[in-house]
Amino acid sequence: MSTDALERRAAAAAIGDAPSAPVGPAVNERILEITDFCVDYGVDASAVRAVDGVDLHLDRSKVLGVAGESGSGKSTLVYGFTRLLRAPAVITGGTALFNVGPAREGGADEFIDLIAADEATLRGVRWTQISVVIQSALNALNPVVRVHTLFDQVFKAHRREMSRAERRARAIELLELVGLNEDRLQRFPHELSGGQRQRVMIALALALDPKLVIMDEPTTALDVVTQREILGELAELRARFGFAMIFITHDLSLLVELADEIVVMYAGRLVERAHARVLYDAPRHPYTLGLLNSFPPMHGERRELTGIAGSPPDLSDLPGGCAFHPRCAYAMGRCATERPPLAKLGGEDRYVACWLHVDDAHAPVPVELRRATPTTPSEGSST
Amino acid sequence: MSDTNAVVSELQARHLTRHFKVRVPGHVLNAKRIVRAVDDVSLDLRAGEVTAVVGESGSGKSVLARLLARILTPTSGELVLQGTPVAAKARRSLAYTSDVQLVLQDPFGSMNPVHQIHHNLIRPLRIHGASKEESRALAESALRRVSLEPPERFLDRFPHELSGGQLQRVSIARALCVQPKVLLADEPISMLDVSVRLGVLNLLRGLCDDDRLAILYITHDIASARYLAEEIIVMYAGQVVEYSRGTALVDAPTHPYTQLLIASVPDPSNPLSVAPNIGEQNLSTIAQQGCRFNPRCAQVMDICRTQEPPAFLVGESHTSKCWLYRDRPEVSPGPAIPTRRGKGATTTT
Repeated sequence: MSTDALERRAAAAAIGDAPSAPVGPAVNERILEITDFCVDYGVDASAVRAVDGVDLHLDRSKVLGVAGESGSGKSTLVYGFTRLLRAPAVITGGTALFNVGPAREGGADEFIDLIAADEATLRGVRWTQISVVIQSALNALNPVVRVHTLFDQVFKAHRREMSRAERRARAIELLELVGLNEDRLQRFPHELSGGQRQRVMIALALALDPKLVIMDEPTTALDVVTQREILGELAELRARFGFAMIFITHDLSLLVELADEIVVMYAGRLVERAHARVLYDAPRHPYTLGLLNSFPPMHGERRELTGIAGSPPDLSDLPGGCAFHPRCAYAMGRCATERPPLAKLGGEDRYVACWLHVDDAHAPVPVELRRATPTTPSEGSST
Repeated sequence: MSDTNAVVSELQARHLTRHFKVRVPGHVLNAKRIVRAVDDVSLDLRAGEVTAVVGESGSGKSVLARLLARILTPTSGELVLQGTPVAAKARRSLAYTSDVQLVLQDPFGSMNPVHQIHHNLIRPLRIHGASKEESRALAESALRRVSLEPPERFLDRFPHELSGGQLQRVSIARALCVQPKVLLADEPISMLDVSVRLGVLNLLRGLCDDDRLAILYITHDIASARYLAEEIIVMYAGQVVEYSRGTALVDAPTHPYTQLLIASVPDPSNPLSVAPNIGEQNLSTIAQQGCRFNPRCAQVMDICRTQEPPAFLVGESHTSKCWLYRDRPEVSPGPAIPTRRGKGATTTT
């Protein structure tokens, strides 16, 4: 019975998301387009710009990885465009167009601007089309209700036609999807282990078949073995239901396996955007190179790595020019005064915000940052 | 790697065991069960060497650090500090804490937030009997040692004014103030930003090489253990399951648990495989009989369910607590072989 329902849902998802579905040219591959997005914390002179002029886009069924350290603005970015931020955060500019699908059968896909949308419109989109798995599953689950209530609340809010029995059946089905037994429904969140809680979070996020799932460091607090299992399950679920995903983490090596495209954030701005493999094999921004070299390798000769000098920037007191220049080994005079734009790298489908790669740069590009396709990223990193 | 015979053994643990009684959840009669948090662990911390202990949460690695720091008293087993056994029941003395210092995971939690850095650094020194002027000088030199320069700039700051990486350096400086012989670092980098982690690891390396400190590095990140340590110990459910000198344990893991750990590390050269759902390490998946890993083990045999395996010697200074290697010579668990050598070294010096 329940497996039947699963097959139907999987089939429905496959048809809806296949690019060649017989809906005609109306199907738009783009599901999210963010332009010049800015978020400040505070409003007066002491305001801190946490996200600064970010452009992003995401296609159906793709995985976008957002990498950066704490304070780089990666969480603010996603909570910003999903309109989940509260004061003192203020969205100071930009648009976030989200594909809500055709208004009527066979019509063209319609986009709404999430930034300009009112509460009622947002309510129609949240959870049903965009769901968020927020960081720290222990704090995200209401500690005083049992797991089944968590599911009930979602269905009661968004699927009012569902009966009690239907809600329960669907909750069991969702738990099975993430590898949990139905007896977990009667448990309180504190009775579950970290991995189980994170699985409940993922099951909740998938409850209404969203088009886009946002994962904010879903595995950071977990042990590596559990992390591996959950990532494996996510890959399976994605293959089955075809949702797109924005995956936030500070662990760049994890993103390389998981994401189609990766953006790297530093001090609220995108510093590099490229396909996952390309970014891993040949990083072009010195910060990306530094991040990749911050993970000791599991193979090969032991050698000293240096990581990145200095400390992460203080957003209330950002250095002028490129925010990374005080920590950058390749900084030039220009870096301290002018901020490099995120520019397309000549001829390649990738973007980088660094003066080293601008055509009229007088300094030669350092060898580490211009390698064609090196075998390992740790090359050239040792001192 | 370094010559073992020339190395002085600073702190040894022999058959260290710590059990906790916990209430069985949901049991009406308040039944208690015993959790063997650390079970028969022997190790040997030598001057100028880093020993890494790798394990998941719940493997007992932090309890081990607290036993070595004598914050917890062992259920059985003994500690030997520079060749002298430490009386198990004796109160933790200033002499012991000035030789063995602990650095904790969360630098924000381990500093008094209402006092400036100088108070946090100088107070332990005053307790250890240094005069005011001496303390200030020692605190400044300790800050210089951890590359926080100029020290005056940091002494008057409050903990919240420093970044996580800087604060972790301060807490390492605080440990160094009393000039210890042994530094126990309990997950010192896991709360830090990715870009500053290597800086702290390299600092530990420097303390080890230049100041001949014996360092115990506790981590869940096996790659950083490989990067830093001379000796690696993998713990599971309170026991040492695999041990090696050098990187043998990472390069050619023998215990199924170590193999699982290593396979789970994100590695872009290995595409994401769908891992079998084998459950987590918790009270219900730790076997009470036989090998503790058997409920999660992919290569489980009948003997694993009934008899606990001893450690077998699988390579030079490489032991594995697994029945798969029962044709190999049996040894005492953990770094027993170098311990013997280490003991020899202590008596000759």
